[in-house]
Amino acid sequence: MSEPPQNIIPGSGWTDAYNIEGIETPETRPVIPLGQKTYEENQPRMGFFTDTTVCIGCKACEVACKEWNNVPATLMEFTGNSYDNTGELGADSWRHVAFIEQRKPIKVQQEAGVMAPATEGDGDFRWLMSSDVCKHCTNAPCLDVCPTGSLFRTEFGTVVVQEDVCNGCGYCVPACPFGVLDQREGDGRVWKCTLCYDRMKDGLEPACAQACPTDSIQFGPLDELREKANGRLDMLHEAGVDDARL
Amino acid sequence: MYHLGRKVREKLANSDDPKYRPILDLAWDYPTEGPHEEPDAEAVLREIGGWDENDNALSSYSELKDDGSTACGCWIYCGCYKDEVNQPARRKPWTEQNWVAPEWGWVWPANRHILYNRASADPEGKPWSEEKKYIWWDEQKEEWVGYDNADFVPGVAPNYVPPDGARAEEAIRGDEAFILQADGKAWLYVPVGLTDGPFPTHYEPHESPFENPLYAQRANPARQRFPRPYNPYNPSDGDLGAEVFPYVFTTYRLTEHHTAGGMSRTVPHLSELQPEMFCEVSPELAEQRGLENGGWATIITSRAAIEARVIVTDRLVPLKVQDRIVHQVGLPYHWGSKGVVTGDSANDLLGLVLDPNVHIAEYKASTCDIRPGRRPRGHALVELVEDYRRRADIHNGGGRS
Repeated sequence: MSEPPQNIIPGSGWTDAYNIEGIETPETRPVIPLGQKTYEENQPRMGFFTDTTVCIGCKACEVACKEWNNVPATLMEFTGNSYDNTGELGADSWRHVAFIEQRKPIKVQQEAGVMAPATEGDGDFRWLMSSDVCKHCTNAPCLDVCPTGSLFRTEFGTVVVQEDVCNGCGYCVPACPFGVLDQREGDGRVWKCTLCYDRMKDGLEPACAQACPTDSIQFGPLDELREKANGRLDMLHEAGVDDARL
Repeated sequence: MYHLGRKVREKLANSDDPKYRPILDLAWDYPTEGPHEEPDAEAVLREIGGWDENDNALSSYSELKDDGSTACGCWIYCGCYKDEVNQPARRKPWTEQNWVAPEWGWVWPANRHILYNRASADPEGKPWSEEKKYIWWDEQKEEWVGYDNADFVPGVAPNYVPPDGARAEEAIRGDEAFILQADGKAWLYVPVGLTDGPFPTHYEPHESPFENPLYAQRANPARQRFPRPYNPYNPSDGDLGAEVFPYVFTTYRLTEHHTAGGMSRTVPHLSELQPEMFCEVSPELAEQRGLENGGWATIITSRAAIEARVIVTDRLVPLKVQDRIVHQVGLPYHWGSKGVVTGDSANDLLGLVLDPNVHIAEYKASTCDIRPGRRPRGHALVELVEDYRRRADIHNGGGRS
């Protein structure tokens, strides 16, 4: 990052995020860039490693996320899609655990002889609890298309929507390759996972990760998580779970 | 609570009214710590663990006396501050002690990890098996030794026979391990109390489409039944009309709701995750009865008919029992008429049958019929259930066995 300019000029790409309460003088207060499109690694980048192999589908993460971030409940109808009535990620669901019913053997149970199917093939069943969340992309298309600067890259390398800036244009919604972003009904603005920006500023892990009883959701510096994830992948391959992948 | 008590006592300090004596005479003097002056948790633990008249922490409940010279918060926790050490906070690794790990934390009573562990030795005090030895009588030391603290009166030899007129623990023989029973015996068979048992066996549920593969007696003969017009029973296997209720159902819980949902159905963030009553059926049963995933079904017993949304899933497997296939209906039981989400209650389907010892209802397995579509409303609903009762011959004594 280059030296900040002495005066903040509108449109220069520099702005002052600490001037809200006017406590500090312009000479002393730190300046952070707005509209910075890619992440500059001047401090550890934070993220999630979601290990679906240990997710038990309790959805404590979904509830913890909504409680902490004041995300409203949407009393939708029953979906008929196994035990999952959340449906998909969106403005009112920032964490989503899908219940995918698979006709695959649960390796450990099968080998231990725990499952004794009445007829051939009946025991081949498992649930894939597929926990999903915003990826906080390295090159985030939502960030690129946002015309207001509402979407910004934080000092932790995460991508966050500022609800007081978002004008509800919705450009980011089709830009996201993962279907994370959506406009809230009756509000118009876009809402998504902030990786609990407020909690991170206080040195806390995100609400979903803290609520997770099996450590399926792990939070930390991205480098460490990548190392952990590769180690876990090796462990699973060694245990014979050949289709495990990152 | 501590500060409330402290403030009340401060206000009453100068009063000589005898009615305040109990409050002023309370020992309410914990040391405090931290910015909020919270009472010191270790001091509370030490008080629970007990002390003697010289303010030494007690090491075991056997040191408690009935003459007022000792104090203790709860007898089973007596000794948890033994040797002035916070015993539950101990964290000695298993690699540095025996496999019972007596110095990792602390367990009540007296840090005994297995209760009645005298039973791990035979009447002569020798381990039943060398491989599984746990507590045994040491002839030289004349005491019980082993990996755990013996749950037995120390120094009482296996051949001890109480003299006539002995009382309390002295009246228990050296070969009777169950020291909390008046006679030291295990009470598997008792002259009074239990009306069946004590060993597990298999009986079919009160309503079952099958015979008992173990005995001619199908269901528990000691079960409590209440056959009366408002509590009719479905006919079981072999009874007239059993074919009217050909399927079995079981009720269970989901992660998101608590028991019948009275508390969790008022919480929007939980209710949205499981918004509607549903039933689960196998693809085979769905085909047999014309049920569609996401559609509606009506489940009927001789008590009631309820409606539920349908999940067709491979998780529900048709069971092959006694060379017949029986289909299962799975029912979570979290719904009712109030709350931010509502639905029919699975418990309405169940009849009242109780187990003979603790009188808990047999509420997890029964028989039913299932058909596609929502249930009728009003009098038509009564008619539907009545029709099933007629077909199952319930008014003429069907289902009373």
